[in-house]
Parts: sequence; structure tokens; C-alpha cells
Amino acid sequence: MADASVTTVEGAVEHHAHEHHGPQGILKYIWSTDHKIIAMQYLFTGLFMGLVGGLMAYVFRMQLAFPGISVPGFGVVSPHEYNALVTNHGSIMIFWVAMPVLIAAFGNFLIPLMVGADDMVFPKINRLSYQVFFVSAVLILASLFVEGGGFGGAWTAYPPLSAQGDYNLSSLGATLWLIAVALEFIAFLLGGINFITTMMNSRAPGMKAYDIPLVCWMIVIASILFMLSVGPLIAGAIMLLFDQTIGTGFFDPARGGDPILWQHLFWFFGHPEVYVVLLPALGITIDIVATFSRKKVFGYKIMLYTVVATGVLSFFVWAHHQFIAGIDPRMANVFMVTTLLISVPIAELCFVVIATLYGGSITLNTPMLWALAFMAEFLLGGVTGIFLGATGADIYLHDTYFVLAHFHYTFFPIAIIGTFAALTYWFPKMFGRMMNDTLGKIHFWGTIIPFNFIFIPLFVLGLGGQHRRIYDFQNFPELAAMQPFRVFATMSLIVMLLFQLVFFYNFIQSLRKGPKAERNPWKANTLEWTTESPPPHGNWPPDQLPRVYRGPYEYAHPDREEDYWPQNLPA
Amino acid sequence: MSYPPIATQRRSTGIPTGRLAVWWVLASEVVIFGGLLASYLMFRIGHPEWADAAVHTNTWIGAFNTFVLLTSSFTAVLGHQAAERGEGKLAARYLIYTILGAATFVGVKSYEWWYEISHGYTITTNNFWSFYYTAAGLHAAHVIAGAVIMGYIARDAAKNVNLHRVELIGIYWHFVDVVWIFLFPLLYIAK
Amino acid sequence: MAENIEQGGHGGDQGHGGHGGHGAEHGHGDHGHHINYKKIYLVLLVLLVISVAGPFLGIFWVTLLTAFGIAIVKATLVVQNFMHLKIERQIAKWVLAASLLLLFLFFAGVAPDVMKHDGAGWENLAAKAVVDAGIDSGEEHGEEGEEHDEEAEPEPEPVVAFAPDQAYSQICSTCHGAGGRGDGAGAAALDPKPADFTLAEFWETRTDADLVKVIREGGASVGKSAQMAPWGALYDEEQAQQIVDYIRNTFVQGG
Repeated sequence: MADASVTTVEGAVEHHAHEHHGPQGILKYIWSTDHKIIAMQYLFTGLFMGLVGGLMAYVFRMQLAFPGISVPGFGVVSPHEYNALVTNHGSIMIFWVAMPVLIAAFGNFLIPLMVGADDMVFPKINRLSYQVFFVSAVLILASLFVEGGGFGGAWTAYPPLSAQGDYNLSSLGATLWLIAVALEFIAFLLGGINFITTMMNSRAPGMKAYDIPLVCWMIVIASILFMLSVGPLIAGAIMLLFDQTIGTGFFDPARGGDPILWQHLFWFFGHPEVYVVLLPALGITIDIVATFSRKKVFGYKIMLYTVVATGVLSFFVWAHHQFIAGIDPRMANVFMVTTLLISVPIAELCFVVIATLYGGSITLNTPMLWALAFMAEFLLGGVTGIFLGATGADIYLHDTYFVLAHFHYTFFPIAIIGTFAALTYWFPKMFGRMMNDTLGKIHFWGTIIPFNFIFIPLFVLGLGGQHRRIYDFQNFPELAAMQPFRVFATMSLIVMLLFQLVFFYNFIQSLRKGPKAERNPWKANTLEWTTESPPPHGNWPPDQLPRVYRGPYEYAHPDREEDYWPQNLPA
Repeated sequence: MSYPPIATQRRSTGIPTGRLAVWWVLASEVVIFGGLLASYLMFRIGHPEWADAAVHTNTWIGAFNTFVLLTSSFTAVLGHQAAERGEGKLAARYLIYTILGAATFVGVKSYEWWYEISHGYTITTNNFWSFYYTAAGLHAAHVIAGAVIMGYIARDAAKNVNLHRVELIGIYWHFVDVVWIFLFPLLYIAK
Repeated sequence: MAENIEQGGHGGDQGHGGHGGHGAEHGHGDHGHHINYKKIYLVLLVLLVISVAGPFLGIFWVTLLTAFGIAIVKATLVVQNFMHLKIERQIAKWVLAASLLLLFLFFAGVAPDVMKHDGAGWENLAAKAVVDAGIDSGEEHGEEGEEHDEEAEPEPEPVVAFAPDQAYSQICSTCHGAGGRGDGAGAAALDPKPADFTLAEFWETRTDADLVKVIREGGASVGKSAQMAPWGALYDEEQAQQIVDYIRNTFVQGG
């Protein structure tokens, strides 16, 4: 047996020597199995979908600020179009922007580089993952244009509204939406298996568990959370699909089904999902903060254990989304306690970041600004969540704009701020050129200030009793009086969207004409900075894959002249 | 860079990469099937009237299919044993026996469904039947997918290529078997 | 363990390998021979026979035990011996254990709402109605005999025939309340409050045509609250009129 295996091994190497050229030309970018190319595919698809989602927000915010006007570039928004827009804005921003960019794009790009491997462990499955994801993206966009319009039953797709075309008036749109979401899940299961196994099994020699950069840990923990929480929802999606198409009654109370079951299936996934996208953003932040404070991360292990605790706890809180849905009040008490408990590890994570900053020599460049903004804004989102976690307050606040503002104060930092932080930080490595820091800062302030101006008024509106998912508030005299708040929020949104042009200009200009980036422009320790920018196919020459001697955050070590100590330098 | 990448051959955990991935696949499958079966169980306990519908499932067909799957699991593990010894041809033959088991299973299942549907018990008859067809259908889809993949692996194994995959598909196959071991009492015995 | 040594050594020789010939990669190849697969298989078959035979005793808990107890034993045997989990590394066991534990968590969190049909201060009337209806029809069915030839099969599900009382309880009662007092579960969040059908003045100030219009086109169509949703997609005018009649006949007091 041993002999046979040795000969096959040699045969395999020979056999593959002439296979590695792979597809040429444009196909090289579409059909590649290289993790970096796949990361770019995810990144650009995600950014494009982010643009779509942002423009959707523009259309329905215009309708809310100026009911009934013909929105420039869209026309008059009908009530059904309004529903379809808010539903798909939510779905797209979470499933087609936050997840592909934060987990798939940066996971794909960073994990093999950071653990010192030449690629993902299953490159073909990785490619398949993107292809499935691409199909799902096409389907969700197509669902907006079918007969009856896009699905308008909110991103949570509660039955019976989502289950019957009679109710939601867009049976084909609803079915396409559901299939797209299910395919997206499958894409991320395929990707997640790759991330997890790559980090577990393909670490560079010498790299122990505590030598892995936190951002890798976080992306992998997020993938595990996703994998273990999405199962019931996949089962639920099959059931809902049958309700929609074949006419079963899984969620139809008149036939013995139970709509509450869907809510449980959905939120059993839906709440861990918040942490699935939060953790990568947090990991990105902590890496950037350590680099630009020139300090070791305060409490690497504490951070790691806290994140694991957060992940575990996140499975115990899901029913706080259902306090007024008619769940048993005794269960609501249990879920209130777990919900309030989870703020403890999250607060701990914030303190770790603050303690890392303390006493560091801080460089306030664009990535660092984004990272700090992430912590500041996410903190506001977390604190307002405590109001909603308390059953008493939630009865009043549920389904108001307070929830909506809270949610955006968590997801905007995650999906948008986290993405920009990572993009500006790793841009030199990804594309081999430096970004313009001044334009980056203009874009930063032009995004952060309007962001707060959009959502702080929505907190006020929510406390004033303004419910979500209403097309036109003019029928409610006491709400109509608060119209100036809505106009202000909409104006801020338009300003924010316009400032994104600065980013696209900067991105494209830097890509073409930015100064060439050296290997390690930020003087950081982790392995991705030890190879060329951008890294070649295979990341390092096959015989020079790095070996690891220490943890990822050895900045300002007292025994060394330089203030950083790359992981791969022999002692 | 040669393919497969060096990354695939490393094993920091001590588990070969392929097998590690299969365990993760199974973990995600456990929650997919588990979510469905947990929902079924809640309804089943909450709706005593389902007993009337459950009477109409055919225990003997279910038991026969259990026997078929257990046997195919047995041949799959024998295939793995052969692959470990490096006997690719023998391993391929056992895999083909397993595929035949899968075919028998699907054949019997089709007959059973045809019989039930022609007697008016369709997926929309009531929620018991909806769960019955959904759960068994999801399982049958896994059986068919497993058999197809096994065909590819058997073809390679006969040429002594990729013998480690015999074990991987075997683990998956045993999992499909285990799911049926639970579906059998849930749908056929507890009446 | 041989595996450990192999593992310790792998660091330096990362360039080795290739995807063929992984016969040697079976870390536990040497253990495999200790398991007598044939014996396990035979035990599984015996267990299968017992689980099928169990229900013939007709004792409820014996059936449960032979059905699910044996399923657990069988599954354990397959997982431990055929999937070789018992000689697999610890991490794989943790992964599977975690996913199983989550299922119990899911069940524990959801069962109080879905499995049970009443609880502290609430009752799932729809589910209870379905259970009652199912048990009644089941009894009738039972009397007709257990033999099922093709004609005695379950009557096809009626194509959701329209009945005003059902329409009221499914659609209207959420806000207007089961007793028509405007005090349904949804009413708490509404301002203005839903109409109270028991008041005489409600009926004095509205014509049937108005009410049909409200049902089909929503409250806003006659200048009332827009939170009264339009239901024209569900009910035509005649059906809406029937609902109005039903409400008047059922709730109006001293009318």
C-alpha cells in the first residue's frame, strides 16, 4: 500500500505540472479557481448589489419624504412597488452585500494569505460557490421585473403573506425571491466549508491556534455560526416553497399549519446571522486598530473566547424578534434575559479595542478612521438594542422606526463601514497600488456625518409611534406633523449617496494611477504582507511558503529596533 | 502552482482535509434534516388526529427500505475497507453494490408513493402527508445525489485513483442511512 | 499514536503529496481492522426486526421504546463503527455534538409555541379547531371501516369555499375582535381604534354600500383610517355584502 501511494503521489505532481495554466484571457477571471480572483468576483458583485440596494433606498426614501411625487430616475412609486423595494433593499443588503463582501470576499482573500497557504483547500468548490451565488444574484434582480412585481412581504417573509399569491399579489416574484435566498445559502455553505477547513487544516508550519490573526478566526467562527444556524431555515424555505407552489399548508393555520413556526425557523437563523456579519467586521477592525496603534492586541485570548461565547449565546436569543408575535410570555422572559446577557461579551469586545488603542502611537489614516467609526457607530446600535431586548419596552417599540434605526446602526457599520475599512486597508495588497488618503478622508466624513443624520431622526420618529412598512404617513395626522424629520433623513441619504462618487473616483483613479505599493506599506506583521502586492498565483513561490514563529500582533516589542515583528521572521 | 494546491495536503488538525470537510457537511446536514424533523415532531405531538393519517403508511415497505439502506451501508463500509488495503477494483465493486442498493431504495419508494398518490394521499391532503412527502423527498434527493457521486468515485477507484474518496462518500452514505433510521420510526412505526 | 507522529512531522514536508494514492492518508487505517463489520451489520438487522415487531404488542410505551430507543441504538452503531467516529479525532465529535445540541435547543425554544396549543394567557384556537375537526372526521372514517378501496379515500380538500363567518374569524377578528367589539389582538397597536360593531350608532351612521366599499377598498376609501386594509383581492362585492350581513346579524345588540 505504501509503495503504491508513493508512486501515485509522484505521478500526481508530474501530472499536474502541465495542468496549472488553466483558462486564458477573460476566462482567466471568470473561470479561475484562484482564491484571490474569486474574492474579487465576490467583492465586485457585492459592491454592485450594494449600489442597487442603495438606489432602492433612495427611491423609497423619496416616496416617504415627498409622498406621491415622481421620483427622479424612477417615476411615481406605487404602494406595491414600495413594498417590493423595501423588501428587496433589506434582502439584498444583507444577503447580497454584507455576506458576500465581508465573509466571502475578504474571507477568500485573507484566509489563505493569512495562514500562509497557496490557495483554499477546495478551489473548485470555491469556484462553484461563487457561481451559485452569481445565479442567486441574477435571480433576485430578475424577481423585480416579473409579472406582479418583486416580492413585497418584507425580508423576513412571514407567512401567510409570503405563502399565498392572493395575499402578496406577486406569486412569481415571491417564489423567485425564495429560490434566490435558498441558493445564496447554498453558496455560503460551500464557501464556509472551505474557509473552516482551510483555517483548521492548512496553516503554515509553526502556526498554532493562537497565532492566527483574529480576522481569520472571526470569519471562520462566523462561517460556523452560519452553517449551524441556517439548516432549519433551509428546511423552512423548502416548506414555504411548497406552500407557495404546490399548495401545502405548513404555515396555514386554517389547515393546521402554524405561521409562528416560520418565525422561529427564520429567527433561529436570523439572529445568529447578525453575528455572522458582525464578527468579520469586528475582526477587520481589530486588525486595523492593532496595526495603526502599533500595539499588541489587548487580550488576544480574551477576545477569542469572548467571540466564541458571543457565538454560542447568539443561538439563545432568537425569539426576542417575536415578543409581540404571540409567543408564550414565559418564553419571552427567558429570551429577554439571554438577550440582555449577550450585551456583556459585546461590551467586552469594545473594551478590548479601546484598551488596544490606549497608549498606542495612533496613525489616523483612512482605514483607521473607518475602524474607529465602526466601533463608535456600532456601540450606538448595540446600546439601542438593549431597549428592544427588554420585553416591556419592546411592546411599544416593536415594528417602529426605532427598531429600523437600531438595526441600521448595527448593520450600516458592519456592512458599509466594515467594508470600507477593509477595502482601504487591504487595497494595496489586493491591487498593488496605494489609495489616495485625502480623497479617502473626504469620502469618510461625507459618509459618516450624513449616516448619522439619516438615522437619528428615525429614532425620534420611532419613539413618536411611526410604524415600519407604511407607504404614506399623510393619513395619520400626528405622524404627518413630523414630516420635516423624514425630509431631513431623505436629504441626508442623497448627500451620502453622492459622496460615494468620491469613493468610486478614488477607487478607479488609484487602480489606474495610484503609486505602486510595496510589499508591506503599513508595516504590519501578518503573513499576507510578506508576499508581493498583489500576490502572484499561488501566493508565494511553492518552495518559499512562509513558516511562522510568533503571534500576529507583536508590535513595539521592547527587544527590537523596528516596531513590528513579522510572523515569519526567525527569532 | 500545481493542482491541487499544497493547502489541500496539509493537515494541522490531524484529520485529512477531505474527511474534515465531510464532517462539516454532515454538521450542516444534521441541522437541515433536524429542523424539518423537529418541526414535524412538534406538529405530530400537538395534533393527535395525525394518527389517523399515519395509519396509512406502509410499515412493511418502510422496513424493507430500512433493510436495503442498512445493507448498502454495510457494502459501503466494506468498500472503504478494501480501499484502505489499496484494492481499488474490489472497492469499486462494493460501491456498485451500494449504488444498486440506492436504486432499489428509490425504486421501492417510487412504487410506494405511486400507490399512495393513486389512493388519494397526496402532498396536499393534509399536513401529515405534506411532512411525509417533504421529509422523505428530501431524503430521497440525498440518496440520489449520493448514488451519482458514488458512481464517479467508483469509476476512479477501479483505476486505483482517489481511493481516499471511497471513505468520504461512505461517511456521507452512512449519514443518509442514519437519517432514514430516524425517519422510519417517525413516519412508519409510531402510529 | 502513529497519527501524532505523522502529524508532528508534516510541517517540514509540506511540498509532498498529490491527490492520488491517499490509501496511506487514512490516519486510522490500522484501527479499521478491529471492527467486525459483519457482526455490526447482523446486530443492526436484529434491531430492525425488533423495531418492526414492537408495535404488535400494542403497548404504547413499548412501541415508543422499540421505535425510537432502537433508532438511537442503530444510529449510534452506524455512526461509531461504519463512520468510524469512535476512532476519529476529538474535534469531529465536537462538531457533530454541537449540531445535535442545537437541534434540542431549537426544539426547546419552539415547542412551547408550536407543539402546545395553549399557554399562559393564550390559546391557539385555529390549531384546536383543526385537531377537533380532524378527530371527528377520523372517528367517522373509522366507523366506515379500515379497508381503503379507491372510493373510500379522503374527500378532496374543498377549494376554500367562501363562508362569511370564516372570513370574519380569519381576517376581521384580528383587529375587530372575536366579539366584534373592536378589541382584537391587533387593536392595541391601532389608533384610531377599530370599529365596535356592537354599537347601534355604528350601524346608523353607515350604509351597506359604504361598508362593502370599506371591506374591499380599505378605510381610506371613505375617509376613515387607512389601517383598515383593503381586501378586494380576496372578496368580491357579493361576498363583502355577505360579510356585512354576517357581522350585523351576529354582533348588533338589541338590533
